[in-house]
Amino acid sequence: MNHGIVSISNGQLALSLVLVLITGLVSAFLRLGLLKSLVWGTVRAFVQLTLIGYVLAYIFQLNSLPVIIPIILLMSFIAAREASRRVNEPTQKPLLVSFIALTASTFLVGLIVVGLIIGPEPWYSARVMIPIFGMILGNSMNGISLALDRMYGEVRAHVAEVEELLCFGASPWEAVRGLVRKAVSSGMTPTINSLMVVGLVSLPGMMTGQILAGADPREAVRYQIVVMVMVAAAVAVGCLLIVGLSYRKMFTKDLALTGDMRRSIG
Amino acid sequence: MTNFFSFDNLTYYFEPGGRSIQVSGAVEPGNVLALQGPSGSGKSTILRILARLLEPAGGEVVFRGQGWLSFPPLTWRRRIHYLPQKPVMFAGTVLDNLWLPFGLAALSDMPKPGRDYLEGLVAAAGLPPSILTQDALTLSGGEMARVALVRALLVEPDVLLLDEPTAFLDEGTERLVQTLLCNWLQEKKERAAILVSHKDEDLQAFPGLRVVNITPSEREG
Repeated sequence: MNHGIVSISNGQLALSLVLVLITGLVSAFLRLGLLKSLVWGTVRAFVQLTLIGYVLAYIFQLNSLPVIIPIILLMSFIAAREASRRVNEPTQKPLLVSFIALTASTFLVGLIVVGLIIGPEPWYSARVMIPIFGMILGNSMNGISLALDRMYGEVRAHVAEVEELLCFGASPWEAVRGLVRKAVSSGMTPTINSLMVVGLVSLPGMMTGQILAGADPREAVRYQIVVMVMVAAAVAVGCLLIVGLSYRKMFTKDLALTGDMRRSIG
Repeated sequence: MTNFFSFDNLTYYFEPGGRSIQVSGAVEPGNVLALQGPSGSGKSTILRILARLLEPAGGEVVFRGQGWLSFPPLTWRRRIHYLPQKPVMFAGTVLDNLWLPFGLAALSDMPKPGRDYLEGLVAAAGLPPSILTQDALTLSGGEMARVALVRALLVEPDVLLLDEPTAFLDEGTERLVQTLLCNWLQEKKERAAILVSHKDEDLQAFPGLRVVNITPSEREG
């Protein structure tokens, strides 16, 4: 049961400007001052996506591992930059640890999915690897930035408790482990919650795409199941890595909280 | 003079290049040293430096003839215990709170105290035995302060750094706590306390108490 892809012609694409117009009208009507961003955003989306379409077509055609790996690393770097931008007042620039956590978790989980579960021919097929790794990265990025942000927030909100434990001779890990646990759990919760409602509230983008491209919905859901459990695993590993690599930086070499972390109690 | 616990020219800048304090002092086993000074003069800061929670700009602390940096920080803080003015309680019962330090690796050599023993100890602090099963976060300020003190005594530090230990207490319980501390000091050799208190009664309660005055110096020019 393959109905083939229903493609969008140039003319049809141009018609989608009607939708931009609707958004513009809402903005103008309520004087939201969003018109400029809307126009700029639309142009950017058009240019970026068109370019990426050509780039991807080219890469899929090349289909060579020495090209795929640098591309995935570049994607990891961009995701790491975005993740670290979202963390409020970290004690160290989280770019490097974000990159390590994202790359490690993405490759670990991605290789299991591509090599073991999907198993395309060849196993590193760019057509499979790039979208799969991209989906993992996008979700891990959200997870690790949440976990890291929450870790700093929790410790700053519980300075007295952390110091009390330190005063009994607790190691930095013993002093913050309860709070770190909360942080990891807050990073993982959205992904786990999405496992609960998927298919009931929303059809995930990937599945929708496959169905529009003519795939049998029963086939599309199989992919979706793999994608969702893969995302959950990558987020879990990523969150664990990021807090593991970062928590020590909240402490001085004398194993006390840094001045930056204690600021709230002066 | 034995050198049990002394600090020499501990220096701390409240702002870089701004107001600063410089303090020296010593305490002998079985005794109490009081830090005195106007509020905001940095008495708590000195206690926090002594516990190695804050790093001073200069100065040294010597414990049993050894410089403080020769002790790993975790060992130091386990021996030189700081009890903050505002008592810290964790979620759980009072019993959970009293047992909390015994779950740490640093205290793995100490057996967890039994319930009977704890009942006796909280009674000495003027608390009923039933408090052990109470939710620690529902206690009054005075109760929390005494539970925190009992918890500090349980881990048997060598030097107790007390920051206004009776601030939350009324006169009756205040005297109980003073007696508890006096007994604790005498119970074993080689124990001492450094105290910050604005109450004269606290100072008079300890025989052989010595006083160090803290006067912050302003920046010149």
